[in-house]
Amino acid sequence: MSFSIRKSLHPGLNLGEEHGDDHLEAETSVFGFWVFMMSDLVTFGMFFAVFATTMPLACCPGPKELFDLGSVAWQTGFLLASSLTSGMAILTLKQEHATRSASTKKLIFWLLLTVLLGCGFLYREISDFIAMAAAGGPPTRSGYLSALWSLVGLHGLHVTSGLIWCLVIVAGILVRGVDMRWKLTLLRWAVFWHFLDVVWIAIFSFVFLGGLL
Amino acid sequence: MDKNKEFRHYLLGFVLATVLTVIPFTLVATVGGKIAFLALILCAILQLIVHLRYFLHLSFKGQQREDLQLVLFTGLILFIMVGGSIWVLGDLYNRM
Repeated sequence: MSFSIRKSLHPGLNLGEEHGDDHLEAETSVFGFWVFMMSDLVTFGMFFAVFATTMPLACCPGPKELFDLGSVAWQTGFLLASSLTSGMAILTLKQEHATRSASTKKLIFWLLLTVLLGCGFLYREISDFIAMAAAGGPPTRSGYLSALWSLVGLHGLHVTSGLIWCLVIVAGILVRGVDMRWKLTLLRWAVFWHFLDVVWIAIFSFVFLGGLL
Repeated sequence: MDKNKEFRHYLLGFVLATVLTVIPFTLVATVGGKIAFLALILCAILQLIVHLRYFLHLSFKGQQREDLQLVLFTGLILFIMVGGSIWVLGDLYNRM
């Protein structure tokens, strides 16, 4: 190749030069995914804006009657831990190439652990939604509650699709092995998963903790 | 050596994020009030930076120009649309 391979071709964790063509291929594919991620960020931003405008009208029932701080702490813990395990999966891919069977097993272990933690998050979130509806706070009750359910629900929907995506990747790796296609998919999925945790920081700080103050 | 460094990088990010999560939760559950509110905002911003730095590996060192433009443009759109919505509707609320 006439040009030298740059170390960092796209934002986020790069596969690195040892991956050869796969690393070069990642440039367009991961950068394109960042463009999507940023447009998704604008979507979340608008849901936050709508929520913020309804906050002064948050009453009867309001945050104090509806929120369970302990459960929100559990959800935060689950999602943060899953962010770490997804990072471990990508590090396994990057450092060990995950082509030997022992290394592929390690990669799949981290991915399945991430799915498990993600399911823990969803379980607590759905239980909270059910409890909220039972306590007189369904989304039809007030503008504030509609905005709350939409914002938190949108994030939950993202987490759900992230989990399904991860399971599809695991199945694909089991069938075809860790080839370039799954490497690039894993990189994009990792960006998606870390991004969801970033959005959750804003949700637990602004919606839940901010609401309870 | 390099591998361990990358691993420790992730672990450090995780520890920092955990600390920055525990602080606001504890303050809201125990102290409350204005101090907790300020600490909440500060911790959220710090944790955002920790996530971008340690988990998403974002750094503008050696990045291409379009990466920076993408993030800055998204920031501009968010500022105009989110800031504008809150400003306009907040103003209306205060006049009601």
